[in-house]
Amino acid sequence: MTAVTVVFAAMGLVALVSAFLVVTSDQIIHAALWLVVTLGAVAGLYVLLAAELVAWVQVLIYMGSVVVLLLFALMLTRTPTGPGSATVTRNQPLATVVAGATTVALGAVMWAGFGGEVIDEDEVRVGTAARLGDAIFRTWVLPFEVLSVVLLAALVGAIVLTRRGER
Amino acid sequence: MSAVSVQAIVGAAPSPIEAPDVDYATISPLLIILGAAVLGVLVEAFVPRAYRFVTQIAVAVVGVVAAFVATVVVGAGLDTVDGEVTGRGGPTAMGSLSVDGPAVVTWAMLLFFGLLGVLLFAERRLDGGLSAFTSQASTPPGSADERHATRLRIEHSEVFPLAMFALGGMMFFASANDLLGMFVALEVLSLPLYLMCGLARRRRLLSQEAAMKYFLLGAFSSAFFLYGIAMVYGYAGSFGLAEISTAVSSQIGGQNLLLAGMALILVGLLFKVAAVPFHAWTPDVYQGAPTPVTAFMAAGTKAAAFVAMLRIFFVAFGGARWDWAPAVWAIAIITMLFGAIASIAQTDVKRMLAYSSIAHAGFLLVGMAGLTSGDGVTSVSAVLFYLVAYGAAAIGAFAVVTLVRDAGGETTHLGRWAGLGKESPVLAVAFTIFLLSFAGIPLTGGFISKWSVFAAAWDGGAWPLVVVGVVASALALFFYIRVVVLLFFAPPQGDGPTVAVPSPLTWSVVAITVAVTIVLGVLPGPLLDLVQQAGAFVR
Amino acid sequence: MTSMSSIVLAASEHADVVPVAADGVFSWMWLLVAIPAVSAAILLIGDGAGDHGPLDRFGHLLGTAAAIASFVVGVVGFVALLGQDVAERAVTQDLWTWMQVGGFDVTMSVYYDQLSALFVLLITGVGSLIHVYSIGYMAHDPRKRRFFGFLNLFIAAMLVLVLAGDYLVLFLGWEGVGLASYLLIGFWQEKRSAAVAAKKAFIVNRVGDLGLALGIMLMFAQFGTTNIHEVGLNVTNASQSVATALGLLLLLGACGKSAQVPLQSWLLDAMEGPTPVSALIHAATMVTAGVYLVVRSAAIYDLSEVARTAVVIVGCVTLLFGAWIGCAKDDIKKALAGSTMSQIGYMMLAAGLGPAGYAFAIFHLITHGFFKANMFLGAGSVMHGMNDDVDMRHYGALRKLMPLTFITFAMGYLAIIGFPGFSGFFSKDRIIESAFATNFWAGLAALLGAGVTAFYMTRVMILTFFGERRWREDVHPHESPKIMTVPLIVLAALSVVGGALTFSDWIEDWLTPVTGSEHHELGVPAWVITLIIVAVVAVGASLAYVLFARRDVPDTAPQQVSVFTRAGRADLYGDAVNEAVFMRPGQYLTRSLVYVDGTGIDGAVTGTAELVGDGARGLRRLQTGFVRTYAAEIFGGALVLVLALLAVNLA
Repeated sequence: MTAVTVVFAAMGLVALVSAFLVVTSDQIIHAALWLVVTLGAVAGLYVLLAAELVAWVQVLIYMGSVVVLLLFALMLTRTPTGPGSATVTRNQPLATVVAGATTVALGAVMWAGFGGEVIDEDEVRVGTAARLGDAIFRTWVLPFEVLSVVLLAALVGAIVLTRRGER
Repeated sequence: MSAVSVQAIVGAAPSPIEAPDVDYATISPLLIILGAAVLGVLVEAFVPRAYRFVTQIAVAVVGVVAAFVATVVVGAGLDTVDGEVTGRGGPTAMGSLSVDGPAVVTWAMLLFFGLLGVLLFAERRLDGGLSAFTSQASTPPGSADERHATRLRIEHSEVFPLAMFALGGMMFFASANDLLGMFVALEVLSLPLYLMCGLARRRRLLSQEAAMKYFLLGAFSSAFFLYGIAMVYGYAGSFGLAEISTAVSSQIGGQNLLLAGMALILVGLLFKVAAVPFHAWTPDVYQGAPTPVTAFMAAGTKAAAFVAMLRIFFVAFGGARWDWAPAVWAIAIITMLFGAIASIAQTDVKRMLAYSSIAHAGFLLVGMAGLTSGDGVTSVSAVLFYLVAYGAAAIGAFAVVTLVRDAGGETTHLGRWAGLGKESPVLAVAFTIFLLSFAGIPLTGGFISKWSVFAAAWDGGAWPLVVVGVVASALALFFYIRVVVLLFFAPPQGDGPTVAVPSPLTWSVVAITVAVTIVLGVLPGPLLDLVQQAGAFVR
Repeated sequence: MTSMSSIVLAASEHADVVPVAADGVFSWMWLLVAIPAVSAAILLIGDGAGDHGPLDRFGHLLGTAAAIASFVVGVVGFVALLGQDVAERAVTQDLWTWMQVGGFDVTMSVYYDQLSALFVLLITGVGSLIHVYSIGYMAHDPRKRRFFGFLNLFIAAMLVLVLAGDYLVLFLGWEGVGLASYLLIGFWQEKRSAAVAAKKAFIVNRVGDLGLALGIMLMFAQFGTTNIHEVGLNVTNASQSVATALGLLLLLGACGKSAQVPLQSWLLDAMEGPTPVSALIHAATMVTAGVYLVVRSAAIYDLSEVARTAVVIVGCVTLLFGAWIGCAKDDIKKALAGSTMSQIGYMMLAAGLGPAGYAFAIFHLITHGFFKANMFLGAGSVMHGMNDDVDMRHYGALRKLMPLTFITFAMGYLAIIGFPGFSGFFSKDRIIESAFATNFWAGLAALLGAGVTAFYMTRVMILTFFGERRWREDVHPHESPKIMTVPLIVLAALSVVGGALTFSDWIEDWLTPVTGSEHHELGVPAWVITLIIVAVVAVGASLAYVLFARRDVPDTAPQQVSVFTRAGRADLYGDAVNEAVFMRPGQYLTRSLVYVDGTGIDGAVTGTAELVGDGARGLRRLQTGFVRTYAAEIFGGALVLVLALLAVNLA
């Protein structure tokens, strides 16, 4: 067991525990902050898999903006943030069962699919900026450009929904 | 971070990226539409308000027509590919798109629907010189601000670029040649639609609720789709449909991953086409959305999603046909029966049309059970024909819905439609023709399309589906005829329905769709030839 | 039915007809359909603005003129066909290609042969007379224009049906007549019973149409064509079971359209429509479309004994069933409707006998068209004079006040019971003879039916025209105007002389190229059978005379009656069966779904919403309007789908 494996396992554990806390925390702000921890741990996993760029994107986009956006939304909509604010419905036991079953099912499928796979961490180079750049701007150039259209449409949509006054 | 990878980045020679190889002429229809959308955004920013609405219409119409012309040119220039099956055209833009026969036909179809949609969006004579869209989405419904905005005649002309975005997404969806592209296309087509659903001028709360529901459930189902893609990637090691097909037929192991992936991808697509049990959003959204949007959405989304579904399941998963076919059979049966029976109980015209749309998704799924190649009716050609006939009739029917009004806007309660035959015989006859086409009565497009999907399915050995299909059509026919009788023979309630006098825009939509519905029923030859010649998907 | 197996059927006899391309007069046969269709379009769509436009004033004349014009074309065509060589009497004209996919194509064509020609004459001839009659009958109806539009629509659709060269085109006509029938039964929408009857006719007919649609699908799948002629050629190479399946599916279609057991229940209720409609659609033409279908598909039935046997059984059961109902009804139109059912049973029986009976089925169909239309119009004339009362117990002694109606009705009566010399005598006689020659039990059923027919028709006659007057206070019976009696006279004349068609076996020879022919020798000379039939008829008529002419007729129907009468009054519980087998489960299903979609429904929809509680209490409401419920549905659906796919793999 190398050091990398140990760190990987630790990071994974952190991600799991914090994810669990995201859904069990009874204060919505706490849930959002636990999410930061989860996303950070996952970013760490990416680094260990030699996917630096993906890791940084994860940190910047998810931890940096998505969670911040989430918090802003909570503040702007004046959602109650005190204790108990995250307990939503009485269906929690049912949800637990469903979520548990789903986790098991998906885990089983993943296990069945990738159970014996071994990745040699010295050989993997998929996550480097060069490889990603090459993929995005050659093979996937059209989807990538069209993706910008989604953003533009979303931008227009945001304006439509929020703009006030006369123009 | 391991030291090795740092060195790898630092030490790599700055090799220049080779420019991707994109044949711009072949994908020009797509580029024109997206270009028109971007141009529309610029118009929104720079053209003064007084001219903005008209300019937007012009940009959209010119864009759609230009793209249509480009599509025809592209279609005419497709090379014939002879393989196991006959096809035309092939992958382009680094393999992201497959501009083949079915894709080009679908593009033309979507652009046709898009044009009709734009004409409906542009209608401003029905509601005192204002469009069907709310003046200012940000004002609370019923507030003084809202009234103020209405008085100032502020309008959301952004709907035109949004519609163009959605149209571009649909076109991309129908021709994408890899799963990643499909996912992107799915988002491009969905996001603008979510938005437009919430912009109704009348009954805004219903409209906003519809938009919210559609957005949440759409995002939810997209997640299934994405997860499915991830699993299939895990199985095949590629997003490309061709590579997946190779992996599937060589049985490389990890069957479970493939099956789960297929199932989840199917969920995402079945949601979009409104098949049971992923249909629940349909009645609520169709009812709440502004009717022109519903018209555009009902025809366009269904067409794009069905073609994409056929492409994925025939091209990529064709080798695993007997793994997914039973599930599709079951869903087709449930969907047909549910749609037909549930529509019997409806009292709201828009909900009724929504359930009818669900039933039609079932009939289209029957078409999917047919053969993929051969001399007779293939699944692809049958479904393409069906989509044209259904889309035209659906847009026409919703266009009629926009015209039947009372003081509160459109009146969609069926009871209020009693006596429409007296009030406006022409409109009532038009609506009757659409209903008869939905029901599959001979001499309408609906009959030929039902015939072709059933014939395809029967050829493919799916005769139980055909039997259920015929039973479901019989059930549905009863309901449609009842509505026809209501229109013409029932005594009107109170003063009866009022029919607004629309501008030539809506009239032309109704006239065109009636003409298409009848021509496809009486002289379906040319279109049948076209979809036959389109051939199979080329990967 | 063992004796039938001995028949070796020569399908080749009529399969080798080679249709010739139309020229000369025959290239105008499409006018037959086009004229009434255009007229219907003008009457139904045109001139929607005013309630008293010119079309409202003269629309009925246009409609009648269209029917007559079509008849003239039919006569011209028929005369031309007589002048053709026997080998060239099947004329086909392709109008345009309706559908072409790969090797499969459907052509919109007119297929005019000996069989179609007879039908064309019947439809347009009787149709024209009924149009004329309706001018008088509907004179005061504010929606006259629409009525004539529907009638024209019906004529056009019926002609499409009989002139079709392709089963798909036939299906188009089949749906068209169904639609016209639905619209006309429910023509008096304000009468709730009429609306309900229209709905019922529609639903029951859907069941039949299902059979036809599936039959056509099967042809397409097996032979790659739906052209009637080519199917006939191909079916000879197909397996026995395919022919049987096709035969049974087409029979289901025929049962629906022709009101044969088990799909008979709609016809009695259909009498809610205006009487000319009952005469034209529900007696003379549309209801015989099933017989036409069987005869037209002779090539299929020739190859399947099972299918033919099924047709015979359906025919026998229905002819007795209808006669039984006819005995018990006090409503004159319903008594006649029971009789229609029964007479069509005869035709079905004949058609089921194969080439030995096809020609007689058509022969009886034509004579029945004459005398039944005559009697329905006569009944209409009586109702016209009796303030639309239909209860025969309120009639009596009308022969003096309505002499023309009486005499013409009497001609029809003598024809239907098979009085020697009248048309029905010849046509029914032939059927009973052939039935005996093929199968003793079928013959016996037919013979028994003849006796019962004589019984109930005599009853109708006596209750209506003889005995004492039992009218209501405010009723002043009077003869109908000329415009109504002239068609009656013409039809009565045809009822008398219609039997001439069989002189020197003309109709048999005429139809042989289409249906083939065959003769089975009876064990006894034919005149013995004829004598027996006449004797049985005489017994039936006398029995009715004794029961009804000699005694007083109570004003209301007596309640202390035999179980047979009670059953007959209840249409032999056909509705009860339908309700238990089809309607209740259907209602539960619909109700459950109504419940499922809670947001879209209000109590007024069907009145069933409040009934939901008991039936579906345990059912969860699925269409709640809550996103979380919808999401749960999607999730559940996805889970099932994933598990199902995985299960398929693991299994």
